[in-house]
Amino acid sequence: MPPVLPFPTPRHRSCLPGVNRGGRNVACRGRSINRFVEADMVRSFLAIVALAAVLLGPAPQLAQAASPPPGGTVHEQDIPYFEACAREGLNASECAGRLIWFKATAGNDRFHTYVFQQRVGVLIDWFRVLRTDERQDRFRAWGGINDPNCCTPGSVNCPAKSLDETFGLDWCPGDAELLKYVGKEGYVDPACDFRDAPLAEGDVHGPADQRQSACDLKFGTSTGMLGIRKFPNPRFDLDKWVKLNGRAGSWEGYNGKIPAAGGSDEPAKSRLLDGAVEPPFLIGTSCGSCHISFDPLNPPRDPANPKWENIKGLLGNQYTRISEIMVSGMSTNTLEWQMFAHARPGTSDTSAIPNDQVNNPGTINALINIPQRPVFANEQVLKWHKVASCGSKPEAICWCEPERDGKCWEKSIKRETVHHILKGGEDSIGALEAIQRVYFNIGSCSEQCWVNHLTDLRVADPQQRGFGQTPFDIGQCRRDCPNFRAIEDRLGNILDFFMSAEARATDLREARENAVRKLSLNARYTDQDLIADLETEFGNGAVARGRDVFANTCARCHSSQPEAAAGQFDALDFHKLDEKTGLRADWLGNDAPTLVSEVGTFRCRALHSNHMTGKIWQEYGSETLRAQPADPNLKEPADGGRSYYRNISLLNLWAHAPFMHNNAVGPELCGNPANKANDFYAMRPRYVDGKDLSLLPPEQQPACWAYDPSVEGRFALYKASMDALLNPDQRVPKVTLLNEDVTLRVGPRLWDGTEKEKLLGFSLTIPAQIDGRGVNAGTVGNFQHKAFVVDLVQAKFKPKEVEARLVQQWGEEEGKRILADLKGITEEVTKTPNGLVEALKKRPYLVKQIYSSCFAEIENAGHRFGEDLSDADKKALIAFLATL
Amino acid sequence: MIPHRIARLLAAAAALALLAGCGAKEDRTPPDVPFAPWALAHNAKPDFASVEYKYPLSVADLYKLTPKNLALLDQEQVDQIYARLSAGPIPDGPYEGDLFFPRGESGKLRLSEIAGGGLKGLLVNVAGKKLDLIGEFLWKGKVFYRDERLLRNRIEDLGPLKSAGLVEESDANPLQEIEVKGKDQWLLFPAQLYCGQSLLDGRRESIIIDYAFTDQLPGYRRMPDMLAGRDGFIIRDEIRMVRPGFYLGRAYIDRSFVVNFVLYNDEIAEAAKADFMQTGTTAQDCWTGTQQRKVITAAAK
Repeated sequence: MPPVLPFPTPRHRSCLPGVNRGGRNVACRGRSINRFVEADMVRSFLAIVALAAVLLGPAPQLAQAASPPPGGTVHEQDIPYFEACAREGLNASECAGRLIWFKATAGNDRFHTYVFQQRVGVLIDWFRVLRTDERQDRFRAWGGINDPNCCTPGSVNCPAKSLDETFGLDWCPGDAELLKYVGKEGYVDPACDFRDAPLAEGDVHGPADQRQSACDLKFGTSTGMLGIRKFPNPRFDLDKWVKLNGRAGSWEGYNGKIPAAGGSDEPAKSRLLDGAVEPPFLIGTSCGSCHISFDPLNPPRDPANPKWENIKGLLGNQYTRISEIMVSGMSTNTLEWQMFAHARPGTSDTSAIPNDQVNNPGTINALINIPQRPVFANEQVLKWHKVASCGSKPEAICWCEPERDGKCWEKSIKRETVHHILKGGEDSIGALEAIQRVYFNIGSCSEQCWVNHLTDLRVADPQQRGFGQTPFDIGQCRRDCPNFRAIEDRLGNILDFFMSAEARATDLREARENAVRKLSLNARYTDQDLIADLETEFGNGAVARGRDVFANTCARCHSSQPEAAAGQFDALDFHKLDEKTGLRADWLGNDAPTLVSEVGTFRCRALHSNHMTGKIWQEYGSETLRAQPADPNLKEPADGGRSYYRNISLLNLWAHAPFMHNNAVGPELCGNPANKANDFYAMRPRYVDGKDLSLLPPEQQPACWAYDPSVEGRFALYKASMDALLNPDQRVPKVTLLNEDVTLRVGPRLWDGTEKEKLLGFSLTIPAQIDGRGVNAGTVGNFQHKAFVVDLVQAKFKPKEVEARLVQQWGEEEGKRILADLKGITEEVTKTPNGLVEALKKRPYLVKQIYSSCFAEIENAGHRFGEDLSDADKKALIAFLATL
Repeated sequence: MIPHRIARLLAAAAALALLAGCGAKEDRTPPDVPFAPWALAHNAKPDFASVEYKYPLSVADLYKLTPKNLALLDQEQVDQIYARLSAGPIPDGPYEGDLFFPRGESGKLRLSEIAGGGLKGLLVNVAGKKLDLIGEFLWKGKVFYRDERLLRNRIEDLGPLKSAGLVEESDANPLQEIEVKGKDQWLLFPAQLYCGQSLLDGRRESIIIDYAFTDQLPGYRRMPDMLAGRDGFIIRDEIRMVRPGFYLGRAYIDRSFVVNFVLYNDEIAEAAKADFMQTGTTAQDCWTGTQQRKVITAAAK
């Protein structure tokens, strides 16, 4: 029998007017009465549901008996989400958006089970990540946040008693129903019972509710790791599974390594590669898989066993190893592993799948105080707008959904007010579209609208599809993918969630007050207490002095107040509240683009190219973005809107170290999992000798910091990271090096059991060390091997054309040198067919610069602003920033 | 150049097959079916979703296609046809087969056009002999065992394989035989059958013929079967149904496209023709995607 969930008491009525919490609660101030009424309606409804739960026993029965307002069934798995809505004071739209954000996969279960493996060629070992017998190690290994309502079969009070019942994964609410359909058709997704918020007033497609069926949101049930969802696989065959694995609860035969016949130099394989094996579940991911985090205000006592009140949806998981998850089924000596498993905890290379051959992991953005985030007016945007009819306009620019009444969209170019989203502000046609793009980047509608537009790294023929990207077509996807429409029709709810109290700032003062209240219910920790503690640590007057330092040194970029833009730094008040929203008025970042050479940080992310004309996300970039001039100080291609970083927000910096877009400034983080096969930091230490970039010996490697989401753990990490930020000369350089030889193969190969032969194409083995020096893993991901191959070929057959192009790009002398070297390689390879590696080793600049999309190496360089401050001022700045 | 030799041999086989069927007029002229405009560059080719939406193939169009006239088209045209097909039912029983290289814009053969026609003699090397042999067998006659999701290739003449020392035979593991149309044939190269991802067009699944784990299948013999498996050529084929009894396929070696092929069974084709002409529909074993496909039959017109 499933456990009855606790009554969702309104014990966190922190946002009710008139309740004195003994401290500032910026999120509550200035809210309209209506919002409180709506929040109370949610709470009232929950009370009814919960009362029914108490009276009727098992949750599934209670939900059906509750007869809630339109929408019907409330699933047991949804109750903690509604409880959270009540706790955060969310209205109906915000709450709907929250549920979607946490659970909706929009059909990407097929991507993460079939498409990624077969089409892209990258294997995920979902059992390795989700196995319930390593539930206690999951956070340490993968940074995943355990679902508080799931359990390991056989543990106390867990409804499932054996691993065979759940096929080795956690048991989670809703599984009593879902497990019946493993190997069968007919599962009704819980999303079908999703209760939509009322249609927004004035919706162009209203007043009738014409939203796409909520079934297409596809929730499934939890896997036990928040944001990772499972669905019963109707193609599953239990007999075949048991034959392969020995028992239902084992995946040994499926994910066990099979040595390559060619020897250990070849990557080991596994049946994960075998598309004929159908696993019991299809696994999908919601946006929450990366964005769900621990609440800095209320961290879990045990990160492996959090409670719902420890969890927030918008701050971003600072510990996730989503990249390692995505290649968890690959051998470490594959190109794919080396390219993906390159990211620090809390970062992800979002252009690894829609690959642009720019290796550039970036942090999951913390979404804080979004109503205060700067917007930019008068930007030129080409996009689809909702309209009520198309008249006689052609379908290419105006399209109405069949069998609906006036549910149409028109594509037109307009001057718009937009946010700048992503590290360089690339998502720039509107917040709604930026939200929706996330779904495609995690695989929703991938088959219908995405994968046909991606680069296939193995295609070397410029005339073949897959040689390069082509633009994702929003209009086609809307027409052909129901999951697109299901999300699009509810984007307003998700944006409302972003704007909600759940994204409110998590100040250190409040976090510390929460901590002391766990010891004494009525204890308080005021602003004055915080300042006193900071000044005890950083010196008398440090906070006030730090304010002045910040205003005069940092605010020109890290303030959203108009006075900062006007250079009136003395007038800045960084703590004042916005009268309308009740939030801190200053977003502590102006979101404006700055040339990457000015910032000086690791520039590869700024050279990310997917929003350029002709590239996969072209339709999500504004014309204004693409018109930005290229950074004149770079040698790499930097046009089309590239070569900038946004000036990010410094809100709650105390809780979000280490710093920079790649989490590289500050200590390295590690999970220290019990299962050492998942100890990814140990596999790839980052500190190198600054002179020759070779890896420092183990005894000289600074120790990594173990994950610690506690208040004081975050604060300690903040201080260490600020020290690194303000003292750049003391930073030990970091470079992610190859940790094994990697073979880059283009074209098919042959092995006949007796000798290795390349039949067609070529393979390029990149050794982990060359002449005793480590090889930057980014070199592999950034090597434009297709352009190199094409030039190599044309250097033989069309040398004049190649020369003209090279001279134009690199200048007379350098261009001719490159051509000469290309010809030289051609001759050498013609004489010695397997001599490409040797030929390139003689000319490393071709790989590292000429045919590299980014040749930066030191990952924690740059942002030297503040290095000239006195030690006292640096301390003051650290103290002041901790108050924001 | 060795790759040219491979291409020539394979092309010669295809040409012979074409000549053998030169009697029928529809086999000697490119089929008159609609195509979206395209250019040579990879990014100057139309999106398949758009091709299907604007240029759907009618049932009558599908009957203009023959196992032989497909070879008279450009590769882009073959690709556009393939993208507008669905997987159909997983076949059952024996099928005849043939591989083909399209004529290509330049008139050169596709295999030698990898990397824009320029890699010839440059980055390509060695040993095509074994591929020559494999090519002669893998994309020819097959037997589908639909219920077991298994396929075996029919080999009429073991001589070339034996002379190359590529056939292991023992009393404990005798070669399997089958009789098709009165001819004895050997069964080699077992492969798995399943519904899976097309490496060309993701919008709906294809039927996959996968040799990667051939060593896990009943009757596997190391030689020559391993040549097609994960430690050999890593061959993975995908097919979609043109019409009942007739499939169009794409062959990949280690995820790189190498050759087109057709599979056909005249008896099945004839038996199902009347019904398919009328309805334009057939059983679908694989995921058919969510883009609306227009079924255009004579009745619908």
